[in-house]
Amino acid sequence: MNPQNSDAPSLEVENLVKHFPIFGGLLRRQVGSVKAVDGVTLSVRRGETLGIVGESGCGKSTLGKMVLKLIEPTSGTIRLAGVDITHLSPREMWPHRRRIQTVFQDPYSSMNPRLTAGSIVGEPLENFGIARGSEKEERVAQLFQRVGLRPENMRKYAHEFSGGQRQRLGIAKALAVNPDVIVADEPVSALDVSVQAQVLNLLIDLQEEHKLAYLFISHDLAVMRHISHRIAVMYLGRVVELADKRRLFTMPLHPYTEALLAAAPLPNPKKKRERLIIQGDVPSPAKPPSGCHFHPRCPFAIPACREVVPTLQEVSPGHHVACIRRPPESEPVPLTKTI
Amino acid sequence: MSILQVRDLKTHFFTQDGVVRAVDGVSFEVGLGETVAVVGESGCGKSVTALSILRLIPKETGRIVGGEILFNGRDLTKLSEEEMRSIRGHEISMIFQEPMTSLNPVLTIGTQIAENVVRHKGVSWEEARRRAKEMLELVRIADPERRLDEYPHQLSGGMRQRVMIAIALSCDPKILIADEPTTALDVTIQAQILDLMIELKKKINAAIIMITHDLGVVAETAQRVIVMYAGRKVEEAPIEDLFDNPMHPYTRGLMAAIPRLDIEAEVGGRRTRLHEIPGMVPVLTKPIPGCAFAPRCAFATDRCRTQAPPYVESTPGHVAACWEVDRVREMAA
Amino acid sequence: MAAIAEASLSAAETRKPRAIWVAIRRNPTIFVGSLVLAVLALMAIFAPLIAGDPLRMAPAERLRPPSETWWFGTDQFGRDVFARTVYGARVSLIVGITVALAASAIGLVIGLVCGYSRSVDGIVMRIMDGIMAIPSILLAIALITLTRPGLAIVLVAIIIPEVPRIVRLVRSVVLSIREQPYIESAIAGGTRGAKLLFKHILPNTVAPLIVQATYVCASAMLVEASLSFLGAGVPPEIPSWGNIISQGRSFFQIAPWSILIPGAFLTVTILAVNLVGDGLRDRLDPRLSRRM
Repeated sequence: MNPQNSDAPSLEVENLVKHFPIFGGLLRRQVGSVKAVDGVTLSVRRGETLGIVGESGCGKSTLGKMVLKLIEPTSGTIRLAGVDITHLSPREMWPHRRRIQTVFQDPYSSMNPRLTAGSIVGEPLENFGIARGSEKEERVAQLFQRVGLRPENMRKYAHEFSGGQRQRLGIAKALAVNPDVIVADEPVSALDVSVQAQVLNLLIDLQEEHKLAYLFISHDLAVMRHISHRIAVMYLGRVVELADKRRLFTMPLHPYTEALLAAAPLPNPKKKRERLIIQGDVPSPAKPPSGCHFHPRCPFAIPACREVVPTLQEVSPGHHVACIRRPPESEPVPLTKTI
Repeated sequence: MSILQVRDLKTHFFTQDGVVRAVDGVSFEVGLGETVAVVGESGCGKSVTALSILRLIPKETGRIVGGEILFNGRDLTKLSEEEMRSIRGHEISMIFQEPMTSLNPVLTIGTQIAENVVRHKGVSWEEARRRAKEMLELVRIADPERRLDEYPHQLSGGMRQRVMIAIALSCDPKILIADEPTTALDVTIQAQILDLMIELKKKINAAIIMITHDLGVVAETAQRVIVMYAGRKVEEAPIEDLFDNPMHPYTRGLMAAIPRLDIEAEVGGRRTRLHEIPGMVPVLTKPIPGCAFAPRCAFATDRCRTQAPPYVESTPGHVAACWEVDRVREMAA
Repeated sequence: MAAIAEASLSAAETRKPRAIWVAIRRNPTIFVGSLVLAVLALMAIFAPLIAGDPLRMAPAERLRPPSETWWFGTDQFGRDVFARTVYGARVSLIVGITVALAASAIGLVIGLVCGYSRSVDGIVMRIMDGIMAIPSILLAIALITLTRPGLAIVLVAIIIPEVPRIVRLVRSVVLSIREQPYIESAIAGGTRGAKLLFKHILPNTVAPLIVQATYVCASAMLVEASLSFLGAGVPPEIPSWGNIISQGRSFFQIAPWSILIPGAFLTVTILAVNLVGDGLRDRLDPRLSRRM
């Protein structure tokens, strides 16, 4: 029924924008808007993990909810395997939901407390008429086994599971309908280190088995380094750098990426690095700075940064950066060393 | 010379499901001006240990049931509530994870800092306000004069944590307990706060007890580390010893399980798997006769499951509670 | 409801006196309240077996104080106050239960629709605000003067002003549930329409609704008694606690028992309902119960 294009990326996002209106005053008129996502273009291929990293308010979660069509985009295009789903009504979107599933951050609030684990995982199977009755039970048992849960526990309620087990339940539910794309929004940040490792390994294994495309949203660069193939760094609604994982970690080109990498404390007491600690707070997305949003905190900003909105430029194959101090022909040397 | 000695501390909670042995026989010392990190996963008892030192365990549910906490030679567990109040926020102060809920939303931050100074130092309000301004300068808040009259909601998360630090340091404490002080903050703000704490450390002479789950924060701030698991201390070591040569299987597992920012996570184009610690943290309502980690440990023997392991010292100051230290060491070599 | 079911399930599973004792100790208010209500309910159901005819007049036995023959004394017509009080429990319980059930059912439906559909919400909520502005006693008096007095009309008069309170509650609960991640998770999993409403939203509104229903029940009993006292309630030939107090008030100084005893019953009943309500709230509201 849909003109599927096998060469098309599993998920494509073009110039996606989400503005949330701000109402104020006595008459509740719109007095402004929060530009949560402000023109983002990305794509994820089959079997690939695209990491979205950024601090609070950078729009990464809004982006995730938009591609899931839980939030209506203001403008732009979302394509699932080449099919435009941007303006589909909930009814028209429904058949496409099979292709794109999600794993949420908080394994405590993302499960209906009144349902058993088995019925939570089995619900998508029922919804799409994939399996019913004993066939469904069997499928659910298989899914339980695949994510490392005991099928006997199907009758338990979600609150009887530990945090890590609940995240496995969430993964089982997402897998139930054999999706192409999984949007994972901070899936391991609520978990303890030892459990986090189990869940990350499981996600990697499942991706390789089913050639899943992951849109993996996280604030944690170390987790990103582990699971992603490519990484997009977001700041106040815009992508500031997009690169292959290896390049991003060894040769970050945007000052913000550099700052993020330098900020994370390393579990190695001998590496007391000279840190690039950027000062100031993340500005409110309701009142972002002019020009390059990062300029007030950027140690390398020049007056032009206040005026010019930098566009994402490809500086070397696959490596994009939005910084006017990085003309396309520039040598990929970190600014720290050049200035 | 040590300023704080915790000996065989036991703090239990009495719940509907039974007695939760949140802290079950923990001993350690903190030296004058030393930074000690207490690290572990959720439920390991690190925060309860901190709250026990300040005697802030909620009375309706929990109690210190054994052991002693010697601060300058006085046993804090035996002090009256009145005496504890004069110590809290004065000689021992604490900063929490969530700066918003720890600050009173209806008082200006100037009042909140000055209040602490007036209460413990008995100075005039003008004097205390001067001190409050000094403290804001110390924690590097720009334009302190104006900030004194602002309310907590007008400040960003990082700024609030700075205010919390200012309050905690306002009476020159001997010990500062920091319970996950950067966990709720964004990465770049976390770096600013850690940096501030390291810098302040050089200016003040308080000992710091850093409670955290993050081995990165430990490596960056501490001189000595205590690793806790299921209410017990499993390993204690000087910082470099612990990272170079972890003795306890749990510590080793933990270090192998964290994704690393500074290490290549690919081999031949394929992503590497992280080390997993199988199983889950044990339920603390049932007494654990042997080593609490035994059910998840690859080295566990029957002895581990039935007899509590002794603390074995390998190098000076580096101890681990493990029966199988030798086998673990052989494996590592 | 599931939480209650769970609680009773776990108690039934163990079937040990100890388990029951633990349940009582955990929730002493629910236990005491339910016990009182159970006794009252038995009294109301088996009224003909316990007490004599509440309407039979014994002119020779007028205004007798409580004694072995007349446990609660007699009124100015020589009617047995004990029999009248026992039968009066029927009216109070019927009014309390019927109003609580009917108002909850109507309020639940309207509240769900309002919480679920933005377009309906605005209009319906303004109507509800309007109804809330009508004092229930005046509404009842108006209705009764327009029609023949009777229990049914009293019920209608009490139910109407209670409905908006339930609607407001259900609507706000639905709005907050809609924001929960598990609803987004269900939508992402392809759940839609009626299934989303009945499987995910409705069951989670039940707990606060039950708590609110107990308060509605208590308030309905009080309003009924006030209406009967004012003569705008249950017709005088049906004994209700409000009626008994109303008829006894001229003889208060000679026969205080005909007012004090039904008054005490009314107070204890309302107290019991509120105890159950408070207990259920503590049990069902996770924010409060976590502190216990």
